[in-house]
Order: sequence, then structure tokens, then C-alpha cells
Amino acid sequence: MTSVEVSAKTVEEALSEAIKMLGVKRDNVEVEIINEPSQGFFKLLGGRPAKIKVSILKKPSVYIRDSIKKIVHIIGIDGEVNISKEDEENIFLEIKGEKLGLLIGKHGSTLNDLQYLANVILHRQFESVRQRVIIDIENYRQKRKRTLEHLAQNLAFKALRLKKEINLEPMTPNERRIIHLALKGNRDVVTYSKGDEPFRKVIIAPK
Amino acid sequence: MKELVEYIAKSLVDYPEKVDVTQVEGERSVILELRVAQEDMGKVIGKQGRIAKAIRTVVNAAAIKENKRVMVEIIQ
Repeated sequence: MTSVEVSAKTVEEALSEAIKMLGVKRDNVEVEIINEPSQGFFKLLGGRPAKIKVSILKKPSVYIRDSIKKIVHIIGIDGEVNISKEDEENIFLEIKGEKLGLLIGKHGSTLNDLQYLANVILHRQFESVRQRVIIDIENYRQKRKRTLEHLAQNLAFKALRLKKEINLEPMTPNERRIIHLALKGNRDVVTYSKGDEPFRKVIIAPK
Repeated sequence: MKELVEYIAKSLVDYPEKVDVTQVEGERSVILELRVAQEDMGKVIGKQGRIAKAIRTVVNAAAIKENKRVMVEIIQ
């Protein structure tokens, strides 16, 4: 649904009804007044209600791309933000440019928090949207995945050699999943997670 | 940096017109005081401060770029 027509006693009332129906914030819509309300003569002939057409200005994916672009620019980074892919479940944003390490942060912490904010902002502005935003910078996520897979193999080996449980650093759910999957086929170790978010971490233990 | 906190906060709340950020300059650090409508407090803090933490992380990236220390404080 990208636009609705609503009638109500006043334009204001019709507008708040319409944005409720569209599930968006007022800043994201354009209002076209079809009929101004009129009172009628001495209320004898009955008034005419206000009628308006309210349309969503931007697609959610375009909205969040522009929003992230704005944030990146205010930070002072000269980068491009593109929608690299969009499907029913996800909106993939890709940030390109130079010196983006700052935006990635230690083990991707800044990137992950930026992505978290993007999701909160998108769902606040468009209540009906169920897609998740995934932000990547210069293929960082792919590289991090490979690093974690390597780490998982090395630490599994270490756990066996020392016959001891190995505690990993706290990680995001997605990163923990990469570790669990990497060692799923390993018959000599088991993996599980321990602790509360955001400090939850993976443990690798010999069987 | 003030603009950054303002922009993010306005995107998160129900009453963007009530978002106010004051920048207090120290010698080597900057304090950004964020004020929002009472009803919007939870919207900029989040469960267990998750949103506030994310705002601070992103603002810190901007601070590193300007070689400064920044603290974001949400004022009741």
C-alpha cells in the first residue's frame, strides 16, 4: 500500500488516520487535499467532510539508504551508499569509499551498531515493514566470515590439544552462528553459547 | 557531531520537534546533551540501553575523525 484516501471531519484528523493506516511517520508522506471541509449553512444543510489523499514519499529501502547516506556524510566520510540487493526478507546496503575502517570499528563493532540503528530507524518510520537491513562495507562481512571460520578450526584444534574448553570473545548472534556452523561437522568437539547479550560467547569443548 | 546526534534522535522518536542537543565544549572532550520528549525517552535508550549504546558508538566514529573525545548524555 503506497497511498490511501481518507475522509474525516478535519484535514488533521484525516491525516492522522491515514498515517496510521499506512504505518509510517508523518515526514514520509505527501498530502493532497481533495476536499476542504465545509461547515454547511448554519449546520442546517450538513457539512462536507475533509477528504485527502496521502501517499508514501519513498520506498522503505530508499528511505533507509538515504538515511544511512546522511549519517555517513555527517560523520565526515566521503562514501557512496547503494542498495545492492532487496528481497522480501532483507535490504542489503553497501557502503563504498576510502578509509572506511573507521566505520567498521574493532571486529565490526561500529558497523554492527550502525546496522542496528538502521533497523530500529526503518521499523520506527515504517511500522508495517518486516524486512531487515544488512549493511556491508567493502565486503567486510564476507572477510569476517572467513576469519571466523579459520579461528573456529584453529581453536578446535587447540581445545583438543589442551583437552580444555576454549572461551571465545563475545560475538553477535550472527557471528556465533558462523562458529557453530564451522564446527558442526567436527566429531571431536562440541560448541555452545554462554552468557547474556551482548556478552554472549561461544565455548568450544573437546568431546 | 551535534548534528549527528540530532539527526539520529529525530529519526527514532515520535516527537522530532522536541529533540534538542546542546554541545558543551571541554578542553579535550565534548559533551553532547540530548533531550527528548518524556514519552520518547525509551525510544532513544532502548532495552538495556541498546539504542543509546549504538548512538554512542556511531558518534564515537565521528569523534575519532575529529580527534576528540565525545560523551553523549541523555538528560531526563
